[in-house]
Amino acid sequence: MTKSDHLPNDSLLRAIDDELAGTEVVLVESHLQRCEECRRSYQELSHASARIESVLAAVPIEHYPEERERLAEELERCQTKTNLQGSEKVLRRFGWGMAIAATLAIGVLLLPGRHARIPNTTGVSEARSSAALQVDGETFIPLPYSNPELPVSASHIVEMRISASSLADAGIVFEPISNTASEQDSSVLADVLLGMDGQPLGVHVLRQ
Amino acid sequence: MEQADILALPRPKWKAEYLEDTSLRRLVLEHYDREHVPLLRYLALLGVDRETSRELVQESFLKLHEHLLNGGDRSNLRAWLYRVAHNLARNTQSAFRSSKTESLTGSEGAREPVSEAVSAEEELLAEERVKCFREAMNQLSLAQRECLTLRAQGFKYREIAEVLNLSVSTVGENVARALERLKDLL
Repeated sequence: MTKSDHLPNDSLLRAIDDELAGTEVVLVESHLQRCEECRRSYQELSHASARIESVLAAVPIEHYPEERERLAEELERCQTKTNLQGSEKVLRRFGWGMAIAATLAIGVLLLPGRHARIPNTTGVSEARSSAALQVDGETFIPLPYSNPELPVSASHIVEMRISASSLADAGIVFEPISNTASEQDSSVLADVLLGMDGQPLGVHVLRQ
Repeated sequence: MEQADILALPRPKWKAEYLEDTSLRRLVLEHYDREHVPLLRYLALLGVDRETSRELVQESFLKLHEHLLNGGDRSNLRAWLYRVAHNLARNTQSAFRSSKTESLTGSEGAREPVSEAVSAEEELLAEERVKCFREAMNQLSLAQRECLTLRAQGFKYREIAEVLNLSVSTVGENVARALERLKDLL
């Protein structure tokens, strides 16, 4: 590049914007050192660029503080919708598996003799009663291994027979629930509330 | 099955997803706080009216949330956001109807906080400059205006090319031509 071959504006601008490719950098810089006219053009373009940017930044823009709140609400709604869709998918795919798993889990946990491994059951049951789960108009007593962090909105309810004495041994108190089970009965019919993970969250005794 | 086994069933994964969802919403709102005014400015400079801009910005951030929920690429969310806003604006029939920058007048409603030190004289001067600038911007083609505005938002040519679906060299040419025209008009 000779002195008479002045740099085109787009090269000068790319130099200003730090957009020159590796080999171009050396060529443009060495030319600018030699050519006063291109240095002047470079300065002019640089000033024009800064002026335009300052005008662009000063353009008054109306913004609406309530829009952030609207977005936050909308995001929450989208999230709930996505979660419900996800839950429905899980229930459709694993519903039966979840019910079987829950039956097994409850059966094993409430086997006679297991109560010896559950410490301070009376105290636990009192605490649980105050944190009863309300789902679809039913009150469920949380089971000892309930995870309070799991949302009950994505739940599933299974009706099954459970040994009343085992439930009593596990520290579940039925007084606040309808159709109180007598200690002599071998089993009771109960609704079992399942969580997202297929594990039982709570029980609601229906009848003897 | 022991109680310990029951507790070991896959609960943590679900919980992790739930927490991830919360953090995604936070991420979207962080981007909103940073980008909604520049995005409104970009749309205004393209000639999109205020009400449409407002809706397009909302929609862009909802799409960002959806993109993140679907595990989309996070490498350049800012450019992604502008591309979505740009495409939404293009798809909105009224958005580019005028292709002029009338929406820069903005004299009603809430504005960005203005420094208290700005005097009435300076404010008038600024308004005059914006008026001149609007007239000058209307001399540019839409592509030139788009490239120049995105450049002013700090995007590299490669990113502008990505947003506007152009080649990097075309972006360079558009910016150079826009600047050449504006430097004589401003």
